Amino acid sequence: MKLGGAKLQRKLFIAAFIIPTFLYFCLFTIYPILQALYNSFFDWSGMSQFKDYVGLQNFKDLLQDPIMLNAIGNDYFLVAGKVIGIMLIATFFAIALTRLRIRGAGFFRSIFFIPNVLSVVVVGVLWGFIYNPQIGFLNAFLSLFTKEPVTINWLGFESHSIWMLLPPTIWAGIGFYMILLIAAITNIPESLYEAADIEGAGQWHQFWHISLPLVWEQMKISIINIMMTTLNGSFVIVTIMTAGGPDNSTQVMGSYLYQQAFKQAHFGYGASIGIAILTTSLVTTLLLQWLLRREQVEVS
Amino acid sequence: MVQRTVHPVVKTIFMALLILWGISVIYPLIWTFMDALKDNQQFYFNMPWAFPELPLHWSNFSYVWNNYNFGKYFINSILVTAGGTILGLVLASTTAYTIARYKFMGGKALYLIYISSMMVPFSLALIPLFFLMNDLGLINNPLGLILVYASNTLAFGIFVLIGFFRSLPKEMEEAAAIDGAGYFGTFFRIMLPLSRSGLISVGIINVLDIWNEFIVGTILVNDPTRYTLPIGLAAMQVEMQYKTEWGPLFAGLLFTIVPVLVVYMFAQRHIVSGLVAGAVK
Amino acid sequence: MTFTVKKTAAGAMAIAMSLAVLAGCGGNSGSNNSAANSPAPASNTPANTAAPENTSAGGGEATKLSGDFTIQYFVGGYGDKWWKQVIADFKTANPDLNIKEEAGPQINTQNKPKWIAGDPPDFVYIDGPELNDRQMAEDGLLEDLTEWMQTATNVDGVKILDLLAQQPPQYGGKIYNVPLVLNSWGVFYNKALFEKNGWTEPTDWDSFIKSSEAIKTAGTTPFIHTGKYPYYINSSILFPAIVSANGNDYKLFQDMGNSDVEAFKSPAVLEALNKIVELRDKGFIDKASVSINHTDSQMLFLQNKDAYIPNGLWLPNEMSKDVPADFKFGFIPSVTQKPGDKVVANTSTATVAIAKNGKNKEAAKAFMQFIFSVKQASKFAELSGAPSNIKGDISSSSAPDFVKQAAAYLTADSTVVVPTVTFNQDVDKAMQDATVALTIGKIDPQGWVDRVVKVVEKVKK
Repeated sequence: MKLGGAKLQRKLFIAAFIIPTFLYFCLFTIYPILQALYNSFFDWSGMSQFKDYVGLQNFKDLLQDPIMLNAIGNDYFLVAGKVIGIMLIATFFAIALTRLRIRGAGFFRSIFFIPNVLSVVVVGVLWGFIYNPQIGFLNAFLSLFTKEPVTINWLGFESHSIWMLLPPTIWAGIGFYMILLIAAITNIPESLYEAADIEGAGQWHQFWHISLPLVWEQMKISIINIMMTTLNGSFVIVTIMTAGGPDNSTQVMGSYLYQQAFKQAHFGYGASIGIAILTTSLVTTLLLQWLLRREQVEVS
Repeated sequence: MVQRTVHPVVKTIFMALLILWGISVIYPLIWTFMDALKDNQQFYFNMPWAFPELPLHWSNFSYVWNNYNFGKYFINSILVTAGGTILGLVLASTTAYTIARYKFMGGKALYLIYISSMMVPFSLALIPLFFLMNDLGLINNPLGLILVYASNTLAFGIFVLIGFFRSLPKEMEEAAAIDGAGYFGTFFRIMLPLSRSGLISVGIINVLDIWNEFIVGTILVNDPTRYTLPIGLAAMQVEMQYKTEWGPLFAGLLFTIVPVLVVYMFAQRHIVSGLVAGAVK
Repeated sequence: MTFTVKKTAAGAMAIAMSLAVLAGCGGNSGSNNSAANSPAPASNTPANTAAPENTSAGGGEATKLSGDFTIQYFVGGYGDKWWKQVIADFKTANPDLNIKEEAGPQINTQNKPKWIAGDPPDFVYIDGPELNDRQMAEDGLLEDLTEWMQTATNVDGVKILDLLAQQPPQYGGKIYNVPLVLNSWGVFYNKALFEKNGWTEPTDWDSFIKSSEAIKTAGTTPFIHTGKYPYYINSSILFPAIVSANGNDYKLFQDMGNSDVEAFKSPAVLEALNKIVELRDKGFIDKASVSINHTDSQMLFLQNKDAYIPNGLWLPNEMSKDVPADFKFGFIPSVTQKPGDKVVANTSTATVAIAKNGKNKEAAKAFMQFIFSVKQASKFAELSGAPSNIKGDISSSSAPDFVKQAAAYLTADSTVVVPTVTFNQDVDKAMQDATVALTIGKIDPQGWVDRVVKVVEKVKK
């Protein structure tokens, strides 16, 4: 091989594989984001012909905005609720469908994944109907057991309405993470379990000492993924189901960004909320990485 | 193998829980179908789980079909999803492979840029994006959606595929080099086929994301003949605010759900095996 | 620092519109974005009143109109029957004109790129979600009609300004749009249910409360509203109550519209808020209210589950498909006045305008002259189920009874007609949130005032 030519060839190859994607990515993702971040230093309605440079004023306002603080709380509530709910249930099902040799495991697995192929719009509409205080499913069901018809307004508590957004999001999220975990578990060499069986270790023991450590990396990725999709995407279900109400009690950062930028004509302020989301998700990712660190288990 | 350690009672409890969750998933679909056959009166005066009264309101379906172009939405969705997924895969796999297998200046930085972009709330970029697409003349154009959706899948695709390419044994490349395959040949003839399951995995996840996306779509598409299914459904939901029509709304839901379910039923093996293959590095 | 971002500006507005898809809106464009400041039509007549375009003072038939003419109209609570008919009439009068309709419940969103690209329809009806006349005017999308309106006459040769019940709004002292629909917020009640149960129809706060007690005793929930869009209850209950509490002087209300901090601290505001508290504390408000949208609340009202609903006059038409055969609407513009006091009608308008970049302004002006006639006004009332903004007696027309009832209210001496007030968007949002919080007992009236004042102060800065 000619060394000089090989070097050039290598460079050309790397360039050919890296540059087009990067330019493309810059144009359609990075440029719009930077452009938006730039706007966070302006008082701009998004409609007016003029933008006023206000420096850090938007960020100062942000720190004193009670709705924003509440929204951050809601975001972390959803992250925590979803991580716990999804990981617990998904792990439970994943174990049940792999290690326990339950009949019809394949059937359950395919059924459980169904909510993941539904659009958030569909999920929002369905659950909106379940929660509907007058003609909804939940109240009608509860009324079977009571004398008086139940008229609980599930999405209209003066506070804690945010709790009601957990079931739909967990319901819709289980399948995907369950499949990931099933994959991780089935990847564990069967010999490890056989050895444990021979040693007389119970299922519980096997779970703690074989399954969990070996799928930990997968769980970590799942948890971080849930966190990021929640911070960046939960506003869709919020917007469809409660529009942040009542009285902003279910507002999350994303929906508040949306509200400020697109409905109340404070585009600059909305952009600064976007930066807040970015910051919180970066910080949380680092924090989670650190919290969830654990010796990597090597399997030969 | 003998599963002597699981008590039958425990197993029964597990089974019951599985069945319960299964019902919670299946039942809303059945009930969507039943509700699509009701008129408003039944929604207000009958139990939500009641069977639709006769005569069944099949007209709800034709009503939705005639008043909202669900057939067109379906074709648009397929077009945009296929285009966005394929383009995204091509762009992501080349970059992921290079970063995974070659050391070069800026490789780490590049990786970080892609990964950190995943944390950026994309809703922020909507307005600048609209102007960009407007300048490019890609508003109300499926190509516009394809380009943006493909770009949005890049970070995730690169992230997962890097892990995939790293797991491939080094010997493969060396063998290819000895055989005289160039860099491109090694990639296209050896590495790409080897990582097929990873590509499928990423592809499936992208398909689901793009299929269900509607915020960007709402911004970039205003012409009803160009709607994708979620945009169409969201639009329908808005129109429902001016005329309460629960039955047709559920019929519309069904039109949106059924195609995905059919695709899922047929592609299920691929989806699951793709996820299985891709999820564990 | 100030940057000019003209194109960007129009586009952002358009995006705002399309995002409104998620948010939804009332049959009318809401409490605040449909109309204007205090009307002051002739106060700033320009020195040059000669309007060269207005050569055909006698009406549209003098000029031969031809070419393409595009009309954009939103189809919401008022339906599209009247538009179909008036466009057909206009076509008959101008056979050479090729009229194109761009209409539907989503037209505001769909037509967005055309406005941005500078290729808008010629004529636009401004109603529905997020199509905001004030913003359109400020963004330079609408034709300045200030001069033309001073002399413009309708097809019958009557000056349009003289015909209008509510005068055109002004932005920066200029007229860009003309109110076509004059509507009123108010309280609907289930008349048939009232008759069946012998409940007294309300005329003032005392009788309203008394009937609500009877209704509650009978096992029906007295009052439902849409907590998802709290401007319904604000516009129909709170605002009239403020005007009543202020001795029927709506100056205070207009000051609130101008974000005057002191106005919000007025005792009249507290007094009005206490009315909502009374409804809440007596358990009259349907618990479902807080989270449901307007259609759901209206359906429950139509299903006899609730007796009263704050709403706009478009309600019966909006729900026409779902109104049970034996249902009868009763309507009163306000219930918050003391016995013997005047009724307060908080109006709501929807306007029409001509696009600045329209290609057939001649036809657009002729169309405006065509629709602002007494004949079309009564047809509008009949087909849209809402009073038009043209003065005139519709009692002999075939308009529905409640429209006549409402029109009668709007013209009676015993009614305080409050011109549509536009609030600053932030203030409006703060008031909506605070009212919801009030109805669920999260805050008290003083808390309402404190919250809103904070926002007003910030807006004023």
